[in-house]
Amino acid sequence: MKKLLGFAIVLALLVSLASACQKTPGAPTTGEGPQDKELNLFTWEGMFPEEVLARFEDETGIRINYSTFDFNETMLAKLEASGGGDYDLVIADDYILEAVISSGLAQKLDLSKIPNIGNVNPIYQGQFYDPNNEYTVPYGAGVQTIVYNPDAVQIEIDGYEDLWDPSLKDSLGTIANHRVINGMALKVLGESYNTEDLEVIEAAGRKLIELAPNIRVIKDDNLQDDLLSGEIDVAVMYTSQVTTAKLANPDLKVVFPKEGIGFGIMANFIPAKAPHPDAAHKFIDFILDPEVSAECFEWLRYYCTNKAADELINPDYRDFLTLPEGFNEDMEMIRVVSAEAEEVHTRIWTEFKAACGQN
Amino acid sequence: MSAEIKAGPTEASDPGGVPQKRKAALRRFFDAATISVMPIYAFTLLFVVGPLVYMFILSFLKRAETWGVLREFTWSNYTNILKPVYLKTFYESLKLAFFTTFFVALVGYPFGYFMARLSATWKRRMMLLLMIPFWTSSLIRLYGWIIIFRANGTLDKILMGLGITQAPLKLLYTYSAVVVGMIYALVPFMIFAVYSSAEKLDWQLVEAARDLGATPWQAFITVSFRLTLPGLLSGVVLTFIPSMGLFFIADILGGNKVILVGNLIQEQLMKARNWPFAAALSVVLMILTSIMIALYRKVSGVKDLEGLV
Repeated sequence: MKKLLGFAIVLALLVSLASACQKTPGAPTTGEGPQDKELNLFTWEGMFPEEVLARFEDETGIRINYSTFDFNETMLAKLEASGGGDYDLVIADDYILEAVISSGLAQKLDLSKIPNIGNVNPIYQGQFYDPNNEYTVPYGAGVQTIVYNPDAVQIEIDGYEDLWDPSLKDSLGTIANHRVINGMALKVLGESYNTEDLEVIEAAGRKLIELAPNIRVIKDDNLQDDLLSGEIDVAVMYTSQVTTAKLANPDLKVVFPKEGIGFGIMANFIPAKAPHPDAAHKFIDFILDPEVSAECFEWLRYYCTNKAADELINPDYRDFLTLPEGFNEDMEMIRVVSAEAEEVHTRIWTEFKAACGQN
Repeated sequence: MSAEIKAGPTEASDPGGVPQKRKAALRRFFDAATISVMPIYAFTLLFVVGPLVYMFILSFLKRAETWGVLREFTWSNYTNILKPVYLKTFYESLKLAFFTTFFVALVGYPFGYFMARLSATWKRRMMLLLMIPFWTSSLIRLYGWIIIFRANGTLDKILMGLGITQAPLKLLYTYSAVVVGMIYALVPFMIFAVYSSAEKLDWQLVEAARDLGATPWQAFITVSFRLTLPGLLSGVVLTFIPSMGLFFIADILGGNKVILVGNLIQEQLMKARNWPFAAALSVVLMILTSIMIALYRKVSGVKDLEGLV
């Protein structure tokens, strides 16, 4: 029986560990073979269709070692540990790029090796993390949009403010990104996402508490499923989820909030001591090819950052992957704020979630 | 350990020269028993004590803006916990843990108790049946509950098919869904603990009580229950403590609206990137659970969990 209980304890540990067991990134291989016959690509899982990677390997004879990370922060930690070596090409989110570039972990791009650079949509260039486009090339953008099922919702939704409407009681789902959701309240109050005025953030927290009765679920993964199954009627979601939902149910309505759009950009950069920088430049150029790009974005389901690829995207997807006609650039990116502001953000977020549980 | 104690008297009875003494000391040091214990000490120091010390130190540092920590001492992570919103997460965790443990005991105790009375073959079969679910990831099994609970899901279809309800119940993302998920995940530990204790029960004592005129219920309370109490209590510990930390059930089945300490720690670590605060929360949680175990020892008068040592 002692053995049995010992076993039970092991099982208990397994249960509590299950959540910790996420994907382990593969170790990158470095220094093998002649230079430029290899490319150590480091990004999230599933950023490229298999065929695109295979075609690059066939055309150039460069073998791709694809290693993955779950969080931008993990990537930064690994780059710091290797002093910007080991990897040849990294794709990560905007806010972390700022940290990478300011710590000297990225190298300047040699634009003469990227003839396709002119294809990039200028809306996504010149951002705060790289104002002169010296280090990064965007690859996909996300816009947080409201999606709703017009059959189940009585009101017309055209901005964040409408989400507070009492008729939406217990029928709203949001992603679990505290800066995005706190940001909705900030936008309704007419403030910036990145304000560091603690009083303003507190006010947004109070505004957010009023939204609690409408919240049914807060989660990052597969929120579109809840919208499609009728668990919720309105959702604030990431771009790839919006695309998936819209493809499954074309009747859903997608709203660019009138208060302004928050968006994020993913971008390529080459680490400071990348072992194979030439291969990295070749790859960046390869995926900027309009046809390759269109294929990638159809698959990735994020906003297309390649202007030349816009018209090549399958019409089924084009509307959700390209910016609407007459887009007025009324958008703001979420950036890292001071530690004090971040602390207030996490506190009001926790208060908000707790308030949602009280219904 | 025992090797050192045994070596003591030989050394005392042999007041020989220094070299001999040193030899004895060397022999004692390289004693097979001592050496065989070394890896465990090393493992414990490296993987249990080390991380705990690291976490403790971390909890007194300041967060850096984008990523990592600054090497500056501060109490603020601990004073931060005293804010009502964070204290409330501790309250919520304890509340859910009490609820869960209560229901788990209600289901698991009779199960384990009667399982111990089965024939040897059936005991083995039951054991196998209890083990099989563990071959699948607990996360995947929780997704199974989503299919059951969601709007127009399995449960809704059955209830509406039978005409018991007219519209979807919207059970998913409620407190009850979280409680069901917790009970489901933890009930086996209660069963195993109670079973192990009931197995050792001398049934002749129950018979004796019956012979002496006790009703079945009296015999159960005065004999069986008393003797299986250590199993029940260790089951309580095995349920209560993990349920303080099972954050992903509240995430998946509760729609992120039930905030437990575990959720808060995970979020501070992964999303808010405030490692020191997460560390401080973990330290407090660890102290809380240690108090629980101390209480358990006091109440049960047992030094170790039933059947563990």
